[in-house]
Order: sequence, then C-alpha cells, then structure tokens
Amino acid sequence: MTWRIVLAIARVEWLRLIRSRMTFTLLLLVPALQVVLFGLAIRPEAARVSVAVAAPTPESAASVVGRLDADGRFRRIGAVGAPGSAANAVRQGVAQIGLEIPAMRSFANPGAPIVAARLIIDASRPTLTSAAEARLLARYWQDKAESLDAGGPEIRIERLFNPDARADWSFLPALVGVTTMIGMIMLGSLAVSREREGGTWETLQSLPLRPVVVMIGKLLPGTVLGSAQGILVLIIALTAFAVPATGSITALIALTPLFAAAHLSIGYAISCAARTQLAALQGGVAFYLPAMLLSGFLYPFETLPRWAQIIGNAFPLSHFIRAAHGATLRGDSALSVLAHGLPMAAALPVAVALALAIQRRSR
Amino acid sequence: MSTAEPTIDVAGLARGFGDRLVVHGVNLRIEAGQIVGLVGANGGGKTTTLRMLAGLLRPTEGGGTVLGQDVMRPETAARQRIGYMAQSLALYSELTVAENLKFRAGVWCGGERGAAMAIERYGLADVAGARVSELSGGWARRAQFVASVLHAPDLLLLDEPTAGLDVRTRRDLWKWIGEQASRGCAVLVSTHDLHEAEQCPLILHFRNGQVEGPLPPRQFLARTGSPSLAAAVLAESGG
Repeated sequence: MTWRIVLAIARVEWLRLIRSRMTFTLLLLVPALQVVLFGLAIRPEAARVSVAVAAPTPESAASVVGRLDADGRFRRIGAVGAPGSAANAVRQGVAQIGLEIPAMRSFANPGAPIVAARLIIDASRPTLTSAAEARLLARYWQDKAESLDAGGPEIRIERLFNPDARADWSFLPALVGVTTMIGMIMLGSLAVSREREGGTWETLQSLPLRPVVVMIGKLLPGTVLGSAQGILVLIIALTAFAVPATGSITALIALTPLFAAAHLSIGYAISCAARTQLAALQGGVAFYLPAMLLSGFLYPFETLPRWAQIIGNAFPLSHFIRAAHGATLRGDSALSVLAHGLPMAAALPVAVALALAIQRRSR
Repeated sequence: MSTAEPTIDVAGLARGFGDRLVVHGVNLRIEAGQIVGLVGANGGGKTTTLRMLAGLLRPTEGGGTVLGQDVMRPETAARQRIGYMAQSLALYSELTVAENLKFRAGVWCGGERGAAMAIERYGLADVAGARVSELSGGWARRAQFVASVLHAPDLLLLDEPTAGLDVRTRRDLWKWIGEQASRGCAVLVSTHDLHEAEQCPLILHFRNGQVEGPLPPRQFLARTGSPSLAAAVLAESGG
C-alpha cells in the first residue's frame, strides 16, 4: 500500500519534470556542458607558460633559447632583451616567467663576475607557474649534470607578488567574485519566477510601471546585498588570511556593485524566461558553472584553448578575477583595476535589454 | 476623458495561445459607471478578456480603445486609470496589509496618507499590521480589492473577486463595487456566482471562446427561455 502511494507520487513528480520543457532541457544541458568543458577546455597540464629572456648578448642566451623553443610547454616572448628586461616583462604582466642570464666568465671575458642567473616568476597564480618553474629547474640541473660543468652560474629564484607561492592568496581574491556571482545569479533568477508562482507578478505588471523601472527597483536591494557579500569575503581574505593589499583595494570595492548588478541582471533575464523557480535556478547553474570553469577561477585562464578563452572573456567573472588579483597581489593602480570594469559595464545593459525583450515577448 | 467617450470601445478582439484560440469576437462598448458581469463556464475566455483589457495580454486580432488608448498598443501611463484584481491572491505575503497598501499607494502617488485613509475607510484597521500570510482568505481578498481601488480608477477589472468568500465579505465587496460605479468608474466583474451576476445591470456571456452581450440579464433570460441565469448558463453550456 505504502509503495503504491510512493510510486503514485513518483509518477506525478516524473510527469511534472519531463513536461517542464526548460527543466528537462537544463537537466540535459548542464551535464552536456560539463562534458564539453572538462573534456575539451580544461587541460591544465597543457599550459604554455610565457617566458621572457634577457642576456648581455643574444649569443650568450642562444643555448637556453634553443631549449625553450624546443619545449612545447613554453612560449618565448620576443627576442632576447637587455639585462633587466625579462624581470620587467614579468612585473608588467607581459610574461609569466623571466630569465635573466648573467655575463659569463670566459677566455674572451675573463673579468666577468660569477653571478647567479635569475628566474623571475609571476607567483600570483601558482597553479599556472609552479609546474613550469619545476620543469625549468629540472632542465637546468640536468643540463648542468650532462655538461659536467659544476662551475657555471647558480640559479636564483625570485617569486613576485606572492613570494611563498601561497595558493590561498591566489584563490581568495577570486573567491570574492565567485561568491558574489553565485549569490546574485540565484537572487536574480528568483526575482520574477518567485513572483510569477506567487501570483504577484501579474498584478505588478498591471500597474503603471515601465518594465525597466520594475527591474531597477527589484535589483537595487540585491545589488546592495551582493556588494556587502563580496566586500565581506574580501575583508576576511585580507584580515584572516593575510592576503596582501598592494594595489587599489578601493577601486576593487568600487567595482563590486557593478559586478553584482551585472549578475543580478543576468539572473533577472533568466528569471523572465523561466516559467518556474526550479527552472530559473537551473538556468542560473547553467550560467555560473561555465563561468567558474572558463574564468580562470578553477583552472588558469592560459591553460584553456583559444575558443574557450574567447567564451571565458565574455563572463564578467574573468575580468573581476583579474581586477582582484591586480588590487591584492600585483599592486595595480586604481585606473588599472577599474579598467577591468568595462566588460562588466558592457554586460549590464546587454542583460537588461535581454530581460526586457523576453518580458515584451511574453505578453 | 470626455464624457461622451466610452470607457471601453473594442471590436473583434481575439487571443490565442499557440494554436489554441481562447477567445474571439469580443465586441464591447462600456460607458462610465456601468457594471458588467462576466459569466460563463471555466475556460470560456473571461480571464483572458480581462487581461487583454488591462493591457497584460496583447490581442492577436481586433482593435479599439480602452480609456482612449489603443488596445493593441497600450501605454504604461494608461494603467494609471485602471484597477485590476487578479483571480489569485496577489499581495506580498511577507509584507503586512499596511505595507502592501503603502506600496500600491506609492505607485499611485498617494503615499502613506492614501494607504492610511483606505485602511480606515474599508475597515482594515484591525489587520493592517498583520502579514498577509497570516490573514484569512476573506481579509486577504478585502485587502486585495482595496489595493486595486486605492487610486480611484476609471476602469475596474475584477477577476472572480468573491470566489470562496463568506456572505458578509461578499456583501461588502459588492457594496464597494457599487460605490466605485456610482462615482463614474466602469466595472467588469467575472463571477461564477450567477445570483450575484443577476444583480449586474449588464452581463457578458462567454461560451466556448465566443462572447454574447453586453445585455441586461432579463434580455438574456428571454432569449434562452430560462427562469434564471443559472439555468440559462447551464443550458447554453450544454448541461
């Protein structure tokens, strides 16, 4: 008897699920997305790390350059530069690793001092550079052993931005964006669907209110909440985990409401398209899952194939993560941090226009 | 609006969803102060018609004006003069009655004062501080009605306002509907209570998506040869 009732309930639930077109589509779409993203895009082992090389003369770096070019894991940036240029390239974010080769003591240059070669590493994202660092060092010691040259220059490692290569210092600033994004997408995707199911949406539409006014009114409190949420995570990262604040934290805080509003608007557009709250929440997951995978949060952006990077750049999260790393680890100026807000500012009107178009179509 | 201009003047309105035509051939000319009862079986098109007149649904065919506005392209500002009460309970359940009314009054530019006056006038003082989720169905419907007339609309569209209510609440609602009409507001009320509908000066009869009327109930009874509206509607719907 009990089982008959359980089966009856299960049957009704099954019919409800498969007859909700959006729910059913998303149930298939989300796993399909995961398969595509994990299968094709997420290949962290295939990262090609950019390397800048500097030496007193191109000839003195010839053998190093030859080995780097032959190694598929490295992408050499430009020609061999003057001493100091490789370190600058890393500081400016042009290269992830810089190799400063010193002048060698030889018969032709007997007066050159024996100084160490410098390996300068952008450690703001250790997941990207730690494997490359280990590989370079292994090659160095292997070459040294093979050439039986125990007297050559030593190698000195300098990690910029994150000297201890702490993974949490890289992860936590990005988490500010991720938590805000998820919270805002969920809140936005319930904004209309909850009212629609509750019966208040129709009445709201019957009032002399322009849809854009309703939308702004509904999104304002969420923007405040989302900003507060993001700033709270940032404060915890800075205080409890000692994440450095070497750049303009004020600029990052100023970006947070824009970032929150952009995701609320995207959630609102999903909400306008969804018939039920369940479908809206699933739509939200279908948005933020690829955003997390393709933004550089879970895997370094540079490890993604070109097509995935293009998609990844369409997500505001990718730009917020760059702004957050810039403001905390890399010492970026306010202008540099705020510049990452341009794609977010562009996403906002697109999402608003999309939401309003969906609303118009449903009349 | 000039006095000569009808509140509603539409012809041939039709609306379908997908391949299904829900209602068609809606021809209406309603003057200020008239009360029209919308009767007919479920699925006959009453709600769809009310929603088209409220500007919530765009008709797929037909044309005309509602409060002087093109029914096919209603402007947002025109809703300033329309009061709409949906079939389902459409107040924010997490908010109190007073907060709901304050919001509506704010939309209509009446502000807090408008809400307070309405609470007093419609006898909602005892429940003003209660959350809507805590109210009985009757009190919630009263509050919903008040929310739809706060701005003294020129057209009031009520979708089954008395469904499931006790006798006293029904009596109060019909009294208030009469008050709205007497100040010149045109009122369209859909109802399944045919005794109530018989009290309306005019009725619109919906049957299988087609509309008959508006005409006085007596005229409808004469045409159908039925002793009461209930018997007439039952006979017309194939019962």
